Amino acid sequence: MVWNIARQQLLTLRRSGTFIAILATMLLMTALAGFIGWMSHHTIIKVYDETVRLLTAQGKPIPANPFDSKPELALLSNLAIYVPLIGAILATIVGHIAMMEDRASGAARLLFSRPISRSRYVIGKFLGTTIALAGVLAASAVLSTLSLVIVNRNVPAAGEVGRLAVFFGISLVYMLVFALVGMAFAITSRNRSFAIVAALGVWLVLTFVVPQVTSGLRPTTSLNPITDPVSTSQSFFQVTAHARPISVSEQYKRVSASVLQTEPAESPSRSALRVVPILALALLLALGVGGLVARHDYSRGLQ
Amino acid sequence: MTNASPLDSAAIELDGLRHRYDMDDVLRGINLSIPRGEVFGFLGHNGSGKTTTVNILTTLIRPTAGSARVCGLDVEREPMRVRQLIGYLPSDIRMYDHMTALENLEFFARLSGVERPRSAALETLDYLDCADLAGKRVGTFSTGMRQRIGIAQAVLHKPVVLFLDEPTAGLDPSGVRHLRETIQRLNSELGVTIFMNTHQLSEVAKVCTSIGVLNHGELIYTDSIENTTARFPDEASLEGIYVRVEAGA
Repeated sequence: MVWNIARQQLLTLRRSGTFIAILATMLLMTALAGFIGWMSHHTIIKVYDETVRLLTAQGKPIPANPFDSKPELALLSNLAIYVPLIGAILATIVGHIAMMEDRASGAARLLFSRPISRSRYVIGKFLGTTIALAGVLAASAVLSTLSLVIVNRNVPAAGEVGRLAVFFGISLVYMLVFALVGMAFAITSRNRSFAIVAALGVWLVLTFVVPQVTSGLRPTTSLNPITDPVSTSQSFFQVTAHARPISVSEQYKRVSASVLQTEPAESPSRSALRVVPILALALLLALGVGGLVARHDYSRGLQ
Repeated sequence: MTNASPLDSAAIELDGLRHRYDMDDVLRGINLSIPRGEVFGFLGHNGSGKTTTVNILTTLIRPTAGSARVCGLDVEREPMRVRQLIGYLPSDIRMYDHMTALENLEFFARLSGVERPRSAALETLDYLDCADLAGKRVGTFSTGMRQRIGIAQAVLHKPVVLFLDEPTAGLDPSGVRHLRETIQRLNSELGVTIFMNTHQLSEVAKVCTSIGVLNHGELIYTDSIENTTARFPDEASLEGIYVRVEAGA
């Protein structure tokens, strides 16, 4: 029964133009991340080779290849930006479609006149959403790995594959947060347009507004996983620094940067702690969505 | 009044059924018993509470007070078992537009626990003379085609009681005729009890075996069609009878 609901949702997504368009954008950006990595790698190596030739001719010592000390996964650092931007929007739309399609089509009334409990229905929706997002991320992972193979001209080591898997696993949980937000508004809103606008409003707040406060009003941190600037003694920044755990997007970017090794490595326990607020929010939202479905009056249509 | 024999298990039983939406009393204590095998026409003006009654009987909403039973099963206590026994066609039947008729029917068959859902869907389409619609997307269907697929969805798991909410709304005359023939076949060939909310009094006269009239949430009249026409011999049509019943004759 649960699988039937999930399978129907996947079929709906497969035939949704909006989903396909954003999925294509997401995959394009993933490929672009690899291409940008390859371009910068190519340019730097070209300059390095030229420098080596000049220095050799002059009999001067040759510096080390800059890529020898750079982790190979660092080429994919842009992925940690694309997931909170395009991935989260895609997830919001997947969640929205999951719940709104049944309400807008009127099929919800037929569904709940069939012997299916609301708990199984909502579990089926969670399963369908998770499979859809995992599929998107799996496609991104394949593209990313191909990029690494092309740029580095060797197959990633087991450790790097493991890091990529962890990164995409964390990304899945992060995207589920936004899918659940999309679901919640799709259940509670009486208007289809309002439901999607409100859900995207939450995405805007979580992605751009909250990090501005929790990172001490440093706008660049709302996009880039950069290291902490010089600490300040101002009390405002001390307070906002303590509020950082509530910013799930900031936590995601930092843990991603650590996993992809674009920032100095931090201890695994610290990285794990960064995932806790994301997991907690996902769990809370899942419980909330379950409660909303249980109480919703599906006999009434949309306005 | 339609009286069931004590030995018969009633298809539908309402006992003091009440429902409130916000601050409005939509149903004000309805008592009704419909034996199995009937085609029951539920009449009433817009907003009288007909759809709310069907929503309760199909377990979509819970009553505020009183009880409703389908084949002896309480809709609040045993909603899953009730759902296995019923079929439902909402007034504005819409399924998944992006899916074909067959895909839609297979999906609902699986939800109903039907074994071999594809075969059941194809057999039902064949039984309802609309096998040609199987491979077409529902989004391209006319109102009449949607209605036929909607009925297929409602009966493919072989329900005991079928609820139809304004089934003739938006249908052209040939669609209405096809629907009438389908209702008669389902009732006579498969023994399905049919509970039909409608405004089409001419259709009620042609297919229903008994009627009930709901007025502002109160059941003001219920009887067999035979007794009803005998009670108002001076009225040529059910429309005239309905107006007199509503006026309190």
